[in-house]
Amino acid sequence: MEKKLSQMLYEEEGRIKKIDPGLRAQIAGMGIREGKEIKMMTKQPIKGPVVVNVDRSNTSIGLGLADKIIVEVEK
Amino acid sequence: MNKVLLMGQSNVGKSVLFNCLSGGGATVSNYPGTTVDFDKGRMAIDGKIVEIIDVPGTFSLQPKDKAEEVALKMLEGEKDAVVLCVIDSSKIERGLYLALELIEKGCPVIIALNMADVAKDANIRINAEKLEDLLGVPVVTTVATMGEGLKKLVERMKETRSVKIEGIMKSVGGG
Repeated sequence: MEKKLSQMLYEEEGRIKKIDPGLRAQIAGMGIREGKEIKMMTKQPIKGPVVVNVDRSNTSIGLGLADKIIVEVEK
Repeated sequence: MNKVLLMGQSNVGKSVLFNCLSGGGATVSNYPGTTVDFDKGRMAIDGKIVEIIDVPGTFSLQPKDKAEEVALKMLEGEKDAVVLCVIDSSKIERGLYLALELIEKGCPVIIALNMADVAKDANIRINAEKLEDLLGVPVVTTVATMGEGLKKLVERMKETRSVKIEGIMKSVGGG
């Protein structure tokens, strides 16, 4: 099943399927690329950023950016 | 070589390395137009005093915020500087992303694989010699907080060189 990164639940895991092309170069340096496994660590309230784990490192991403990342999750 | 730029992603130990190399004699200066600070100091390479600059952390050379803009501006403003690219060994993949960007830009680069102790604890083993062969720039393993590898890093600073990204692509077999 596909969902937006911003819609992932706490501790949910998945694989990055698609990143908005305009965003790709911007977040590639954080290790966030298509095909990478990703895990939702924390979601901050009031439209705050999400914290995700990629390659054993935590990175926070603004909710607006997280909206433009599509993740393939199980079930 | 009269200037060394310390570049790397945030939280990889640039400032610790900076304080080790410059003896902690850092003066903090403010870059005009921003609130982002960088540190300047001096160190000796082969008995010659060179300036060393602690650049704000940047994930990539496509700036996303003010601090990264400063980093990029400094890099472009210091054409004759060599770049000491600091990488967190335990997060080597994303570190190499920035290193490759710097190489692609034509900067003379030396790589410090810092936080080697953290990588070791996480059971990550890195073949620094192989990496050096592939990249064609000096790669030195360091633990800045313990002072490990720093002597070697300074010794090899003069081997810093610009390499063509095409050559690297060829040696790793990428397209």
